[in-house]
Amino acid sequence: MPEYVREKLTLNFPLVTEYLAKRIKDYINNSGKNGGIIGLSGGIDSSVASVLLSKATENFHVLLMPSSSTPKEDLDHAFTILRLINATESKYTIINIDPIVDQFRLAVKTDDKIISGNIKARSRMTLLYAFAQKFNYLVVGTGDKSELMLGYFTKYGDGGVDILPLGDLYKTQVRMLGSYLGVPEDIVKKPPSPALWEGQTAEGEIGLDYETIDSILYLRFEEMRSENEISALVNVPLDLVRRIVRMVKISQHKRLPPEIFRLSGRSINSDWRYPRQWA
Amino acid sequence: MGIKVELAQISSKLGDVEYNLNKHLEILQTSSAECVVFPELSLTGYVLKDLVYEVYKDSENALNKIAENARGCAIVGFIKEVRPGILRNTAGVVVNSQINYVYKFYLPTYGLFEERRYFQPGNPIRDLNIFEYKGLRFGVIVCEDAWHYEPIEALTMLGADAIFIPSASPIRRLTSHKLFIQDNWEALLKAHSLINGIWTLFSNSVGSQEEEYFWGGSMAVSPLGEIKAKAKLFEEDRIIIEINIDENRKNRFFSSFREHISTFHDVLREL
Repeated sequence: MPEYVREKLTLNFPLVTEYLAKRIKDYINNSGKNGGIIGLSGGIDSSVASVLLSKATENFHVLLMPSSSTPKEDLDHAFTILRLINATESKYTIINIDPIVDQFRLAVKTDDKIISGNIKARSRMTLLYAFAQKFNYLVVGTGDKSELMLGYFTKYGDGGVDILPLGDLYKTQVRMLGSYLGVPEDIVKKPPSPALWEGQTAEGEIGLDYETIDSILYLRFEEMRSENEISALVNVPLDLVRRIVRMVKISQHKRLPPEIFRLSGRSINSDWRYPRQWA
Repeated sequence: MGIKVELAQISSKLGDVEYNLNKHLEILQTSSAECVVFPELSLTGYVLKDLVYEVYKDSENALNKIAENARGCAIVGFIKEVRPGILRNTAGVVVNSQINYVYKFYLPTYGLFEERRYFQPGNPIRDLNIFEYKGLRFGVIVCEDAWHYEPIEALTMLGADAIFIPSASPIRRLTSHKLFIQDNWEALLKAHSLINGIWTLFSNSVGSQEEEYFWGGSMAVSPLGEIKAKAKLFEEDRIIIEINIDENRKNRFFSSFREHISTFHDVLREL
């Protein structure tokens, strides 16, 4: 990551912490919910989001939803975070999702790893919402800006949430925030992975490390620099810059509500623009 | 002895005019200041989008209720229907139960802002006014108008010694140090104050509205460019500042404020 970008991405993290905890709290209050539920994998994003949630409210519940492809290390890390946020036994639940996922696979008659992986993400979403409804909580998402921009998430899986407190922070910034919040170094430094199948890592799948990805995303979409300029600045081949930019473009549909084909004079989404905080 | 002005940094509930009205009335009833300045669109909230069409009438009714109840002077943000179907982002200036209207001239429509979609801008030829209360001559401009020279300059030339700036400034461009946007506002207010020999009083919204977050940090800057009072960041706050006209004199005796080469404006008119 070029020093120039690192400097731009280094924020006042005490202020960011105060701000995000306040925003979570405000959103819970404004939506008339009693608290927040979060899925904790033991990775950097869900660890940081859990710490922020615990700072925003005492009313939080953590779901650990391992499957056969979850590394044991991740579960250990999840327990480390539970201790860090003082989540006593009533504040977390462990559910092995393998039997649920197997039922789906059987119904679909597939053992494709990508289809199965997405079923895992969507099973977790279903569990999170069921618990949220049970407690009158809302679902706190853990996706970061890098993943959201790349479309590196499962639509209606880990993408199916009520709020995304980390959605305006790149992975690199989430790591910095994690260090500030006292998340142990082995969690901060661990290669990010959705763990939807064994051996899967984000950087392996995308083909670049997150420091480089974030540099490209920041320079292209915030400073609006040209691909050639970015290739020179970040010192990566032009075709890799283009690949990242293309990932952002082809995943736009994942970031927007489903398209509605217009018939009326006022159609939802395109010209019927009400805030969430309507009533 | 000056006049006391309160900056009422409130968190308006988006679209809930009744809730916001009650908050205004409570503050007006408990304030020890002669004049209370609320943020931009304080009766409705800012990030309204199409809710604009559902709350504008209620917001004007609420302003009328404030005028019936207010002692002294109050600056309140609401939406005025200036003719059927034409809405303006407006500050209601209530002086001794009389209502005057100040319209926003520069309507931000870029990045996160989309005011031109909903509002018509004010017209400087008809809509520039100054007011007087207990010997203080003041002007009012709304938020974005402080990001240009002319509105404040014109009000000062018309005789204002203080400018009240109801605002809805959201957080953006966070850096490693502090709030960049707060730095920007401090610089703007200091420059306006120094150049025009005036008090500038910035009353900002606070709290969450949709994706945006209004950072608060309301402040008063003297004609000598000093920040005389500062409200808290990120939470509701009420601060009182005493405006002393001697401070205007201190600036103007020893500055070139009295010089005004109006032919510059002839040049600007042609550009």
